[in-house]
Amino acid sequence: MFENNLIALPTAAIIHCRFWDDECVIYNQLTGDVHLIDGMGVEIFRVLSTKAATLIQLLQNINSVFEWDIDFDAESYLDNLIMEYQKLGLVEVTENTSA
Amino acid sequence: MKLETLSKKTIVGALKGDGLRFNVGGFNVCLSSSVPAVAEHLLSLYGAFDVLDNAAFIDFYTALEPPSKLRRYFRPQVNFSFDGYFFFKPLPYKQASAMFEWGLNWCIASHSHQYLIIHAAVVERNGQAFIFPGTPGSGKSTLCAALVSRGWRLLSDEMTLLSVNDGCIYPLPRPISLKNRSIDVIQDFAPDTVMGSIVKNTLKGSIGHVRPPDNSVAQYDTPAQAAKLIFPKYDKGSNTVLTSLSKSRALLKVTENCFNYNVLGFKGFNSLSNLINASDCYEFKYSNLEEAVNLFTELAH
Repeated sequence: MFENNLIALPTAAIIHCRFWDDECVIYNQLTGDVHLIDGMGVEIFRVLSTKAATLIQLLQNINSVFEWDIDFDAESYLDNLIMEYQKLGLVEVTENTSA
Repeated sequence: MKLETLSKKTIVGALKGDGLRFNVGGFNVCLSSSVPAVAEHLLSLYGAFDVLDNAAFIDFYTALEPPSKLRRYFRPQVNFSFDGYFFFKPLPYKQASAMFEWGLNWCIASHSHQYLIIHAAVVERNGQAFIFPGTPGSGKSTLCAALVSRGWRLLSDEMTLLSVNDGCIYPLPRPISLKNRSIDVIQDFAPDTVMGSIVKNTLKGSIGHVRPPDNSVAQYDTPAQAAKLIFPKYDKGSNTVLTSLSKSRALLKVTENCFNYNVLGFKGFNSLSNLINASDCYEFKYSNLEEAVNLFTELAH
């Protein structure tokens, strides 16, 4: 779904990430909500807290960290995760004009 | 001048007059009251605190007085006021001293947003502050009283004041509030503990306040650095078990124990993150106080 889009933290700098070991905590300054993120989500926010990325770039990064079972559809899983984070206001998805 | 250097007559006179002014941690309090138990409470538990002169800036003007003349005779009650306003329903007259402690807790928690205020006991040894957040019944005050009785410095029994400016923990070494069975437990564990009158039949059951150690009160303006964040749970009959807790989960847990986290917004989150960075985090289950004290004393070496 997001393969041609650019995924980033919201431009208004309302999202603050703190990383500890294999978990992270995300603070949404707009809502005051705190989210505990683990697993693949940590790598997503590790990348996005430095720069925006496409789904493919995120997937490449995640594949370098995790090993999957052969039948695991990492792309669909990542796609769903991004959709969840978008609903929570933790990431923004925009058209990738440089693509 | 320490409060205990004043005669009872002087204290009662000040309380009935313009109010007794004294320093409590970093706060200056003026208290007026005609209730005799309040004077007794101050004399037995606040002796080491500094009395202030009339020129001192006062943070909290408080009073404990019966609500009306009729109530002096029929089911007598007492009211707590702050700056002349009444924020709480009156309590039975016999609970005046407990109401002072609760009222002052409220004054500090509601007006001191230069701190992130964590509902936690905090004690210090060898320069390391151990923070024990906890819901009522978790055993944090019992642990706190036990550690303090073995020479740990009391920073606070009820409210950990974490400065949002410098990340230090500022002392608020007020009397330690014990409830119900904890009163007997501490009296058995540390028979030399000085405890004020036991106030019975409060909403929380029986309440007893432990006098803070004089040397902790004397260091009221010396902050401490966080070293351990420990979530205690008293569990009757259990072994003493200290388990590591991930920093992320500790942060989430501690947000549930803050009085003003939402008021402070990002400053609150940032302060907590820095606290977590500086601290080892644990969950702690115990039933044997002696073992608990020995474990933490070992941990502080």
